[in-house]
Amino acid sequence: MSNLLQLCVSGLSLGTIYALIALGFVVIYRASTVFNFAHGEFLSFGAFCMVSLCAAGLPWGISLATAMVLTGALGAAVERVVLRPMIGRPVFVTIIVTIFVGAILRSAIFIAWGPQTRGMPTPWDPLTTFEVAGASLLANSVAAVAAGACALAAFFALVRRTKLGVAMRATASDQETALALGVPVGRVFAATWFLAGLFAALAGVFLGMFPRSVDTNLGFVALRAFPAVIVGGLDSAWGTVLAGVLLGVLEVLCQGYVNPHLGEFGKNLHAVFPYVVMILFLIVRPHGLFGTREVERV
Amino acid sequence: MLEVTNLEVVYHQVVLVLKGVTLRVPAGETVALLGPNGAGKTTALRAVTGLLDIHEGRITKGSVRFDGREVAGRRADAIVGGGLAQVMEGRRVLVDLSVEENLLAGAWSLPRREAAAELERAFERFAILADRRRQQAGYLSGGEQQMLAIARALMSRPRMLLLDEPSLGLAPRVVGEVAELISTLAAEGLSILLVEQNAAMALSVASHASILENGRIVREGPAAELAADEDVREFYLGLGGDGRTDYRRVKHYRRRKRWLS
Ligand SMILES: Nc1ncnc2c1ncn2[C@@H]1O[C@H](COP(=O)(O)OP(=O)(O)OP(=O)(O)O)[C@@H](O)[C@H]1O
Ligand SMILES: [Mg+2]
Repeated sequence: MSNLLQLCVSGLSLGTIYALIALGFVVIYRASTVFNFAHGEFLSFGAFCMVSLCAAGLPWGISLATAMVLTGALGAAVERVVLRPMIGRPVFVTIIVTIFVGAILRSAIFIAWGPQTRGMPTPWDPLTTFEVAGASLLANSVAAVAAGACALAAFFALVRRTKLGVAMRATASDQETALALGVPVGRVFAATWFLAGLFAALAGVFLGMFPRSVDTNLGFVALRAFPAVIVGGLDSAWGTVLAGVLLGVLEVLCQGYVNPHLGEFGKNLHAVFPYVVMILFLIVRPHGLFGTREVERV
Repeated sequence: MLEVTNLEVVYHQVVLVLKGVTLRVPAGETVALLGPNGAGKTTALRAVTGLLDIHEGRITKGSVRFDGREVAGRRADAIVGGGLAQVMEGRRVLVDLSVEENLLAGAWSLPRREAAAELERAFERFAILADRRRQQAGYLSGGEQQMLAIARALMSRPRMLLLDEPSLGLAPRVVGEVAELISTLAAEGLSILLVEQNAAMALSVASHASILENGRIVREGPAAELAADEDVREFYLGLGGDGRTDYRRVKHYRRRKRWLS
């Protein structure tokens, strides 16, 4: 029982991180039909910024906020410089372009921060645990869930209640109409990339806190959030968040309860588990949990 | 107020769609732009509102001036901010947003407080929309969607409104309501350019009209004069002299068209 609780909490924290990453994909996709394969590099960039800012002596919270804003700015810059001129091009062209941008960013990060692995600084002792009902919960996990939940709540409030949120949804719904109504669609695109960057940095920082420390491979972890995007339905923010959290929990539960019974074969089963779920969804329910049916798949 | 002079528009660098269109909408007037399918009416509106880009269209000649300022090359949001709003063909309601959010999307150029005031004004004028303010716009009827589209365009407090076939697909009674609304707006001082295929409706509310065929203006004049014109009556109002199509007259009309253009 306590084991289950423990696994659920670490699953939730992994799921929250998946949700943040997947939401970044989805806001960009919804606004501009661009599938951003450079997203993982935003995670690395945010995590490395965090490491450097903390090393420079800034307080943890301020470092986090700065790393998020810097990553957001990187996202907006990529949009403005590389993708804005691509508006109206076929989807596969923008996909290739974002893969290319990702490769450039990865090299740039490698040049800037080098190959060595860094530890992600935490304001608390990274091994702190809380004892709840006999289970010991990692402070890192609890913090990831709390921070992720706050970020997601802020996002949904933004989308529902603000002028920018209405503009984002109008643009996602019908770009030409948004233009005709006087919505500055270019600036809305930049804003969505900025938001995606904020979430990516937050996800990168918490991802770096788990045993997995910060190195240039962090970017590939973003691919592991990919199933959440598909299962959630590609164009549904809520669906993505839900799918991210669910897949995170399932992955950890699989690791805890299924892997040990499969011997050598089961060693890394949990890592492919989300993909198995994704493929099942593609076969049985290709529009995902909440996606629009006619949405174009990539 | 709006002066389109000798406008040429090319799509995809090869398809010449507007071949020198000249059109004026004086301040406070309602002008109708009539013409058959594919004549280039929507294209003319796109040229005025900065929407050619996303259709791979370009102005290759001529000018579009609003209040004496050149509009060509300006961004769509700047044009709306300058007081020129439009209702696109097919209403284009944002189906997954609520009625209220649709209206707010039209008020981007206004500060928050003014947008809220404008919203209340819209709900006063359009009582049907007020009843459904939280409902998804996709569930409104065609007539209600057209009203929403017009209300939404008015949210930016335009001085001039462009309407692209607002009567399209509506029942005659609703077309009457739209016509009435246009007259009311005109009486309040709004300048209007009304693109229509429903010539009877357009000529009943406009003071002037132009007829666009195949990228050229082939007739223009006071609305009453066009409404009384034999050719216009026959080909746009469907009111032939004896009710049957007279092929000799079709030929005669074709010849005249060629001569005019
Ligand atoms: N994006 C585009 N690319 C190429 N050609 C286009 C494009 N949009 C319109 N056209 C062509 O331009 C011509 C004029 O189209 P437009 O939509 O302006 O006509 P319209 O008068 O509004 O017609 P309707 O009454 O059917 O709305 C048509 O022949 C059309 O095929
Ligand atoms: Mg048209």
